[in-house]
Amino acid sequence: MSGGPAVRISIESSCEKQVQEVGLDGLETYVPPLSMSQNLAKLAQRIDFSQGSDSEENGVDSEPRDGEWGKQEPEEEEDTVKFQPSLWPWDSVRNNLRSSLTEMCVLYDVLSVVKEKKYMALDPVSQDPTAGKTPQVFQLMSKKKSLATAAQLLLKGAEKLSKSVAENQENRRQRDFNTELLRLRSQWKLRKVGDKILGDLSYRSAGSLFPHHGTFEVIKNTDIDLDKKIPEDYCPLDVQIPSDLEGSAYIKVSIQKQSPDIGDLGTVNLFRRPQKNKPGTPWHIKLEAAQNVLLCKEIFAQLSREAVQIKSQIPHIVVKNQIISQPFPGLQLSISLCHCTGDKKINRSSPEKPKPDDHLYVLEHNLHQMIREFHKQQLSSVVMPHPASAPFGHKRLRLAGPMAYDKAEISSLQQSEGLLEKIIKQAKHIFLRSRTARTIDCLASRIEDPQIQAHWSNINDVYESSVKVLITSHGYEQICKSIQLQLNIGVEQIRVVHRDGRAITLSHQEQELQDFLLSQVPRLRL
Amino acid sequence: MEAPPVTVMPVTGGTINMMEYLLQGSVLDLALESLLHRLRGLCDNMEPETFTDHELVYLLKGQQGNPFILRARRALSHPNAPWHLRYLGQPEVGDKNRYALVRNCVDVAASHSLPEFLNEMGFRMDHEFVTSGHIFRKGAMKVVVCNVSRVQLPGNTENTERMSNSHLVELSVLAPAGQDTVSEDMRSFAEQLKPLIHLEKIDPSKQRH
Repeated sequence: MSGGPAVRISIESSCEKQVQEVGLDGLETYVPPLSMSQNLAKLAQRIDFSQGSDSEENGVDSEPRDGEWGKQEPEEEEDTVKFQPSLWPWDSVRNNLRSSLTEMCVLYDVLSVVKEKKYMALDPVSQDPTAGKTPQVFQLMSKKKSLATAAQLLLKGAEKLSKSVAENQENRRQRDFNTELLRLRSQWKLRKVGDKILGDLSYRSAGSLFPHHGTFEVIKNTDIDLDKKIPEDYCPLDVQIPSDLEGSAYIKVSIQKQSPDIGDLGTVNLFRRPQKNKPGTPWHIKLEAAQNVLLCKEIFAQLSREAVQIKSQIPHIVVKNQIISQPFPGLQLSISLCHCTGDKKINRSSPEKPKPDDHLYVLEHNLHQMIREFHKQQLSSVVMPHPASAPFGHKRLRLAGPMAYDKAEISSLQQSEGLLEKIIKQAKHIFLRSRTARTIDCLASRIEDPQIQAHWSNINDVYESSVKVLITSHGYEQICKSIQLQLNIGVEQIRVVHRDGRAITLSHQEQELQDFLLSQVPRLRL
Repeated sequence: MEAPPVTVMPVTGGTINMMEYLLQGSVLDLALESLLHRLRGLCDNMEPETFTDHELVYLLKGQQGNPFILRARRALSHPNAPWHLRYLGQPEVGDKNRYALVRNCVDVAASHSLPEFLNEMGFRMDHEFVTSGHIFRKGAMKVVVCNVSRVQLPGNTENTERMSNSHLVELSVLAPAGQDTVSEDMRSFAEQLKPLIHLEKIDPSKQRH
């Protein structure tokens, strides 16, 4: 076909609108096409802000940095498209623009800080020096120095502590008044009367019936000069004891040959151990000494009362501070109360030289023991009345009336012996024992041919001792029986028991014992 | 047979006229322990002594108004101990300042046939009671802390009933007539018991209603 008329071809887009729905009457409803703004919005949503305008060139660089971010973006876009279809279509665009603005601002700030250096400056972080670069000596020195500083601090603290502890101990040693009072109260009975503190050092609560009050007063020691150094034995508490209990005392019991002149009695100053009563003696020493003085006074008072009241064959003599009695003829037992008050005026020193010490300590001790026994008996539950309304008194005496005891029975119930009788009996026994020992020893040293041995028993009584006397012949022990005598030394007599059981009683005469032993000696002689 | 004439004068002649100095007080059972502790500390150092006694009060109605009263007491805790017969006179009126009550006192120990003897003499038992408690002693002073129980059946000391939930405390001293220092000692002792118990003289004649 060569020449024919030109055919006009018109091209038009299909531009078919999408059908939304087809009505029941065949009418088609088309989806309205997007308007200009809607179209723009749709296109704007598709912008990928992560990619720059020259992203083709720097795509490789930007990829690793913003890759993730970029990947997140389309996901977010898809998310926003999927899950929030009703959102304003420019929303994602706005968010993206906003975040890019933030980024730009930050970059600008950093650049301005680097450039300006006015309010902030970039400072490099100090790098650790690599190990091995610093020398070990330097490390050692630095450690030593730091340890020395720490040690000095600790030492300072320790010094402060030890100083305060020492001060505390010093204060405690200084003993303030209240701690001393507490110590005093733990050992002695105190009571407060008005504003005075009084104490009781008598034995009344232990059963004594001595009428002395035994009250001492506790006073505060204020005569201390604070300027001068406090003396070692300073005590802020002091006691004032009754004036008649001052000083110290003891009871001297001695046996002597009878003094020819009776006028000498009572003038002997028998004090043997002078005690200096310094004003600075601690209170416990003062109180103990005063209590001892009180006890000695009570013993002496009891003894002298008995000496006067009890009738004995040879009357006892009581002169001033001495009681004299005669246990055996020619012998004199003197019991005296020696009380030294420490006052120089009263202490007359005896002109003659001091006699040998014949003080029998055992008897003094026994006197103390006996008076304490007496005290204890006062406190025994035997004196408590049953029924309760009855008066105090020994139980047996209360029975005496209803049981119709006669005088003999009553006297047998009561204690027969007083303190004085007991001590005289003990003195007699001691004297007899020592004289028997002396006699036997004398004979044994005088007679050589049969040997006389004495074996004293260790276990004795206050009123009885025993000794076994053996008379043997040297070399002939097997042939002839030795003579064994058992001597029981009592208060006034010696009882001799032979081996075969015969018993003989000897009196206290020294000569009698000597004669008897001498009579036994030839029995052995062949 | 008419009652023999009886005088209310104290027995004189032969014996020393002993007077009893007395202070009394009471303490509730709740405070008893602390009182006993305090007494244990203040009094003589002995083991605490407990007692249970049965006391019978005998009256002899004479022609005069006031009957003659004798108190017979036996120890239930010590059946072998003798009975104790006591006469207490009227309180002496004298010194108002004297802290303790003073009255004449005659104490006699008697054998176990005492109730029959008194009945034969003409006395009639007025009332009886059982006391039990503790005795303390300080020198010559006696402190008795006891509770009093009523005897319901006469002669039956097993079933007794406490009269109150408090204890009676008596501080007494037996001394010959004329020693007034005794009441001072009692006063100072009573002072030491002060916040726990107030011991004072209670005139028995004023108690009658």
